Amino acid sequence: MAEMWISMGPQHPMTHGLWTLKVKVDGETVVDTEPDLGYIHRGVEKICEARDFTQITTYCDRLCYASANTWSHAYIYAAEDLLEVEVPERAEYIRLIAVELQRIASHLMWLGAYGPDIGNLSIMVWCLREREMMMDLLQELGGSRMHYNFPRIGGVKRDLPYGFAQRARAKLDLFKQRIQEYESLFDESTVFLVRTQGVGYTKAEEMVNHGVTGPNVRAAGVDYDVRWAHPYSVYSELDWAPAVERSSVKGADCYDRYRVRVTEMVESANMVLEAIDRIPGGSETHHEPGDPAILAKAPSRAPEGTFGSHHFEDSRGESMFHIVGGGDGRGKNPYRVSIRSPMFITLPYASKCMIGYKVADIPAIMGSFDPCIGETDR
Amino acid sequence: MGKRVSAEDQNEAATQLVNSLIAIEGVTGEVLSRTNGTQTRNIAHLQCEPSSWRKVAETMKYDHQVDHCSMITGIHWPDSPDKNWEVIYHFLRTGVTDPAITEDGSSIIPNITEPKKLSGKEVPLEIQVNIAIPETRTPSVSSVQDIWVGADWNEKETWDLVGIDFDGHSGMRRVLNPHETPPGYHPLQKQHKLRYHGFEEMYDDAQGFLRKAPDSGRVK
Amino acid sequence: MDSIIGWTLDKTHNLMPSSDIGLGPLGSINLQETFSSIQPGLHLFIFTSVMCTVVFATMMITLIVVPYIERKFIGRLMDRLGNTMSARSLWVGEGGVTAGEWWNSLPFGLGAPIGMVNRALNKNFGNDHHTDSVTRVGDRGYHGIWFLLPGFVAAVADFVKFNTKAHIVPDKADRLVFEVAPVIIISTTVMVYAFIPFGPHIWAANPELSLVFMMAIFGVAPLGVFFAGWASNNKYTLIGGMRSAAQLTAYEIPLLVTVLGIAVLSGSFNIIEIVDFQIQSSDTWNIFLMPLGAVLFIVTMIAEVERIPFDMPEAEAELVEGWWTEYGGIRWGLMFAVEMMRAYAACILFALFFLGGWELPFQDTLIGLPLVGGLFAILAKMTPGIAILLIKAYLMFALFVWVRASLHRIRTDQILEFGWRYLLPLSMLNLALAMIMRVAFWDGAWPFWLAPVVTLASFAIFVVLAIDEDKEALESSNRIYHTQTLEKAYPGRRE
Repeated sequence: MAEMWISMGPQHPMTHGLWTLKVKVDGETVVDTEPDLGYIHRGVEKICEARDFTQITTYCDRLCYASANTWSHAYIYAAEDLLEVEVPERAEYIRLIAVELQRIASHLMWLGAYGPDIGNLSIMVWCLREREMMMDLLQELGGSRMHYNFPRIGGVKRDLPYGFAQRARAKLDLFKQRIQEYESLFDESTVFLVRTQGVGYTKAEEMVNHGVTGPNVRAAGVDYDVRWAHPYSVYSELDWAPAVERSSVKGADCYDRYRVRVTEMVESANMVLEAIDRIPGGSETHHEPGDPAILAKAPSRAPEGTFGSHHFEDSRGESMFHIVGGGDGRGKNPYRVSIRSPMFITLPYASKCMIGYKVADIPAIMGSFDPCIGETDR
Repeated sequence: MGKRVSAEDQNEAATQLVNSLIAIEGVTGEVLSRTNGTQTRNIAHLQCEPSSWRKVAETMKYDHQVDHCSMITGIHWPDSPDKNWEVIYHFLRTGVTDPAITEDGSSIIPNITEPKKLSGKEVPLEIQVNIAIPETRTPSVSSVQDIWVGADWNEKETWDLVGIDFDGHSGMRRVLNPHETPPGYHPLQKQHKLRYHGFEEMYDDAQGFLRKAPDSGRVK
Repeated sequence: MDSIIGWTLDKTHNLMPSSDIGLGPLGSINLQETFSSIQPGLHLFIFTSVMCTVVFATMMITLIVVPYIERKFIGRLMDRLGNTMSARSLWVGEGGVTAGEWWNSLPFGLGAPIGMVNRALNKNFGNDHHTDSVTRVGDRGYHGIWFLLPGFVAAVADFVKFNTKAHIVPDKADRLVFEVAPVIIISTTVMVYAFIPFGPHIWAANPELSLVFMMAIFGVAPLGVFFAGWASNNKYTLIGGMRSAAQLTAYEIPLLVTVLGIAVLSGSFNIIEIVDFQIQSSDTWNIFLMPLGAVLFIVTMIAEVERIPFDMPEAEAELVEGWWTEYGGIRWGLMFAVEMMRAYAACILFALFFLGGWELPFQDTLIGLPLVGGLFAILAKMTPGIAILLIKAYLMFALFVWVRASLHRIRTDQILEFGWRYLLPLSMLNLALAMIMRVAFWDGAWPFWLAPVVTLASFAIFVVLAIDEDKEALESSNRIYHTQTLEKAYPGRRE
């Protein structure tokens, strides 16, 4: 059979979002790929130039809807860098709890979607069941299940609710037990290992040169993590280590990327448990919204010519916001908001990674990079 | 406690880098120290002429192991006196190297870094390079696609949205806008309006029942 | 049935005049004589038509249980720790009647043990009561008729719905092949049921070599699949059709060799005789004499009916629906039903070949018991063979569903490698074992020790192979396809 171009997408169950992957196929072997993004380009960067700094938080939740808290916090750190605000420590702890819970929820969603890609349908229901627990906790914190609009410039919207610590401990302990079930369905299944090992080899230096970071690069035996390398927030106060996977000699395959995320979930759960114990003021005190212990007063205008930027460890890699101050609202609106999405850079790399493997490996490889098209297209 | 790269190491590394790069003609820079309550960040901030950008890029990559091109921001300044366009490159020096392989070649030894032991060119660092372009209808900067592959799609996006071209970039195309977008349309330029209605219009009369056609009252 | 038809035809015979009626230049005709010469053929025709209708109706009606099992059982497996684990959830209420501890209203306290089991299950495996959506118990009355047939009506409703959908032919499709392909697939699958006996007396056709016929017809469907994939003018279906053709061809051969092993062991190519062999002559179900063959049959049949783990041709993650993407309406509905029918046929065949067909377990032993043997004899006589057979078939299907819920999809080239390099030699080995057993040990009955020895030996080999672990390879993490990781992520990992 001659070589032919197959177009996977835009409507396709594999793609985890709205994009096209054109694949040149020689029989069953992939010879060339060409990704096509931009189907849900909503123009967030342009919209933000006409909004106040507090109004932009809402948009940033919707960048990656599966991992909303990480994106709104990434924006808030950059806005605080621009407006030169000092955040109280209690607020940093609460933010860390929100971000890490969101990271667990995002990875659970990924695992729940990765199983059906490989063919296992049961894991989807199991992961979503645990994700419900995380969403309950996040609902207590942020008010809604998906787009929380949780951080404010200078702090957070509200404090930990009464009984949050107790419920979080119960749910996270239960969650850590449940990971055994996922491992029984994945690691102890030869079919899964046969599908994911030896497929999609990637090496660390090449990945970093291509702009890929986060769990994908930690799967290759390197422990680079923005949380300790370019430190922010109170991560250094907690006892944690980035989840690194001892990949095979040829590089990180899909199995390593899967394992690193499972390990990261447990790591995040432990971080949340520790943060609840160490939060200044204790987890049983509750401040009203607007209390200076959780929200510092912040200026609402940025002078001309200033800029703020911040690198952040998103569930999928290193995200970044660069905000230039002093715009049409004479300072109330930013002049330019520039958003770095890890997936925007990883998807072309993942497409390149598929060359040489079979068509049936495409969902395995693509799913293992954890694509989320909301943040890709902004 | 969790590990972290100390602010002093970062400051030192940033100063080293900046000092080394100012030596190139057309480049100025400083180390910015920013605090936001709990941590201090030190960023190496450089301003570069478009003509010396390529040399700066090569120096950074090959002499200073800056290995990750994070983002490229393109800004259109129609009202600014000294620059009409600006390209900001954001880099990270990650210090990532491929892990070593055991003697029998069967498995790898993962790289677990001790931040206290890092020094010199291994310290992770944030770098920002601003390139200001004077007034022109065809702004362009040399492409660094061959140095950092991560710059490839970032450059496509910057051209697509802002209109800044990159010399030497192969395969330039629209990525976020549709492929058939008319050439010359770059949404993030300032002449494109941001808003066609105010908020008040939306809330007072959402469906426009109180509005009248412009030619109402005329005898037809 | 036979005598009724014969009696009626005879009576019809007597109603006709017995004298010659002249037809001029055409000669003369005697109605009674004419009728008596075509009577046997007519008799056969009517009998066959009636039996075919009966068998078809039986198959279709009992087929409705199959998607019901699939839906409910997959729901249990997928929501393992939800409220589905307790006995309460097997029937939660239909037709306006809510269940809620219905066993308490049984007389004489008969429901008390059910309540105890339910409480124990809930306590140990029940849900966490953390989320209301999991603990909710609803009334699904709209799915059934009164309290009967909960959920069965959905299958019928689906069938009607498919009838109302549009039949769309792709633009540049090969129209003739496009139309012919579903006909091939559906007709050959329904024809398979002609040879399957649903009980000792419910069958449509029973030639001497019914096994060979049936396997031949079963194997024509891959041709239809290939036609469907090709004719749709769609690269996806083409790939799906190719994969399917390769996979089904690869697994036909181990299947046929395994079936040949069964035939050799049972001494006949006739399905009813194979079942009679298990019930009467050998007095042992074939699964105990040929466990390897049973496993091979299950695996190759799952591959033949394209269920997970072998459903790469219709893998929804890549090919949406695979070779049947372009079919709409009743063509798709019937092809989906054909998937179910083939799985159903595979389960019934397994029950016939290996599980003794319509014999109750330990039937002879129970009847032979001194005091209560008579009771069991009456029970065995009263229970229709079809009920026993179908219970076995449905349990087998539950196994298929269990496999589907737990395993992942295997990649096509790995499927092919598995079929050609592992299953084919194993099936040859199975055939050799069957021949050895039949030739060396069969003299009208098996030696009493043969079945237990074979079963135990197979089980021991399986256990040894399953627990084999290469600790060194695990340590060095130099893994390709290694079975278990050393560092689990759940608690206890961090020291």
